[in-house]
Amino acid sequence: MKKLFWLSLAVLAASTAVAQQSTKLRIFVGGQQRPEIWRKILDVYEKRNPGVRVEVEVGGATSDQQQQYLTTVLASRDPSIDAILIDIIRPAQYAAAKWSDTLDKYLPAASRANLLKQYLPAYSKANVINGQLVALPSFADAQFLYYRKDLLEKYNLKPPTTWDEAIKQAQTILAGERNANLNGIGFMGNISEGTVCSFLLPIWASGGDVDDDSGKLVLTEGQARNSLQFWLDLMDKHKVSPPNMAEKAQDTIRQEMQQGRWVFGTLFAYAWNRFQNDADSQVKGKIGVVPLPRFEGGRSASCLGGWQWTISDFSRNKAQAYKLVRYLSSPEASKILAIDASNLPVFPSLYKDPDVLKANPWFADALPIVQNARSRPVHPRYPEVADVMRKALNAVLARTKTPDVAAKEVISGLQAIYGK
Amino acid sequence: MTRPQDRYRRSFGDLSERALAFWLLVPAGLLLGFIALYPVIRLVYTSFFQYQLTLGPDATFNGLENYAAALRDARFWNALKNTSLIVLVTVPGALLVGLGLALLANLPFRVKWPVRLGLLLPWALPLVFVGLIFQWFFDSQYGVVNDLLARLGGERQFWLFKPDLAFWAICWTIIWKTSSFVALILLAGLQTIPKELYEAAEVDGASPFQRFWRVTLPLLTPAILVALIFRTITAFQTFDIPYAMTKGGPGNATETLAMYVRVTSIENLNFGYGSALAMLLFLISMVITMIYLRYVRGADE
Repeated sequence: MKKLFWLSLAVLAASTAVAQQSTKLRIFVGGQQRPEIWRKILDVYEKRNPGVRVEVEVGGATSDQQQQYLTTVLASRDPSIDAILIDIIRPAQYAAAKWSDTLDKYLPAASRANLLKQYLPAYSKANVINGQLVALPSFADAQFLYYRKDLLEKYNLKPPTTWDEAIKQAQTILAGERNANLNGIGFMGNISEGTVCSFLLPIWASGGDVDDDSGKLVLTEGQARNSLQFWLDLMDKHKVSPPNMAEKAQDTIRQEMQQGRWVFGTLFAYAWNRFQNDADSQVKGKIGVVPLPRFEGGRSASCLGGWQWTISDFSRNKAQAYKLVRYLSSPEASKILAIDASNLPVFPSLYKDPDVLKANPWFADALPIVQNARSRPVHPRYPEVADVMRKALNAVLARTKTPDVAAKEVISGLQAIYGK
Repeated sequence: MTRPQDRYRRSFGDLSERALAFWLLVPAGLLLGFIALYPVIRLVYTSFFQYQLTLGPDATFNGLENYAAALRDARFWNALKNTSLIVLVTVPGALLVGLGLALLANLPFRVKWPVRLGLLLPWALPLVFVGLIFQWFFDSQYGVVNDLLARLGGERQFWLFKPDLAFWAICWTIIWKTSSFVALILLAGLQTIPKELYEAAEVDGASPFQRFWRVTLPLLTPAILVALIFRTITAFQTFDIPYAMTKGGPGNATETLAMYVRVTSIENLNFGYGSALAMLLFLISMVITMIYLRYVRGADE
């Protein structure tokens, strides 16, 4: 009896000693971001760093849902999460709220410049807010024009480079197919983040933007009106989109395109894998990807997406978290994500990597699109900026506001946020 | 040596009944204080500050500025209008449908469970599920409502993005969801009415309508009031169903006050202004409750 007592005491002492040596870290990723693949990457990290254990906390399935939860965690200064995978629209907000530990303290200026040079420029730019490095890029994303290769070939059409071409091609194909279930051009129009991108695409495609590099509001009422009018015309004038676009979420368009119900769709990168690999996909091998069209005299522009790792300012293991974040944003992790999750890499060289291309042949054409993608306004009050833009487009598509009225509201709403 | 029982007697046995009651209530009081009182006090406190995390983590006192801003804010008035209309339509709606359901369930069916189950089911479903289910019902392309309309020769409607239709679709859903709660309370009220009263009324030659009007309704009034209070307050807090069905759209046409509070605080991180909006919602609920309670007391006397 006595022996057993001493033995268990010894085991207890030994285990606390081990626990004291090891560091436990906790990272947060979204439910749609393949937690099992992050686990695989972390297993590699744990093997190389004995004494470090990393737990994965899995959150909601959309950027909004994740942020709702993270807001309560971070606003209450909860130290339980050390590193967080955040959407590209968030770094400015995290910097303003002082939720992120600045990475500059671990990186002397020279090595910071060296590190940032390796990433795609858009991502190193998106993560530096007021000169401070807030987060490190993990994987890229962008909006593409998906099209039905088989239908375009049938009518001897080449993938469109301008919106006028896209509209004409859609009209030709719809007239020729006479299929009531087939629609022309799919885009997001409901009240969601994707609709912000819809609002911005025509503005970018004609050469405009919302703000300039110094953060000054440069969007004009005319540009806003043209964008709203453009999407409305797709439904009412050109008849290439059905009249209920105000209802359409990104994943609705994706599902419908997968059932063969769209000629064109403006969707983010995730759609490709679903078209090719989903068991119920009717369009396997029939989908092509090209850059989003431009307007005559404008430029082709895509909406930049992507995810970054930031360190919580309330973490109690910041130094260890920094080491981990450096690994999670390394080319090695990016390559695993590209092969296993089909996430677009943030390193240009990986777009030519044979292993990556074997898993995702279309990545070869994706690099220029990601490189030309433009980022949504970088502003600490981005959620309010987004709300103004998506509500305006949604109201126009529902035909409760004219493009004129809605454009005026966009400008006055943005002026209130940016300050004149 | 004192035995434990003695010690117990010394500490609690000497207490007067009043003091004992106090100590027994302390845990419940503390719990309520933590989960109800503290947040409300914190809310009032925050509402007097300029506190928006996207402008920086610090809060500065700004007195009644948030409230003044709310009164100037067209979006606040729009949300208040939408919320009030939802209250005006869905509270009487749920009461009428609920009363009908309760009377139906109170009939002497031989097998009672199908009716009672039918009563309980909408009540047991989480609000946001109901919102998502009805969103599908009302979907303009795939929804069952438009399918039925088309089969009956009607025209397909854009239920969820025409402001008027969206409002009615939301109200219909709320009434469907909440009338079973009203019915449950009223059913309990109906079952406390003694059978003898109906028998006596029948002997006196009262028609079924007179029996309902003269016997059922007066005796059911307390239950109706309870149902009305709860229903009105929850109607002012309407959030889940419109959030799931329209996200407040098209534009802000169906945004309620509770939805605006959420966007302001959780998405825009403007906790000061969000707290002021929430306080206004709280005050409205308080006033309504007080009016009802005064009416209840008046009715008792």
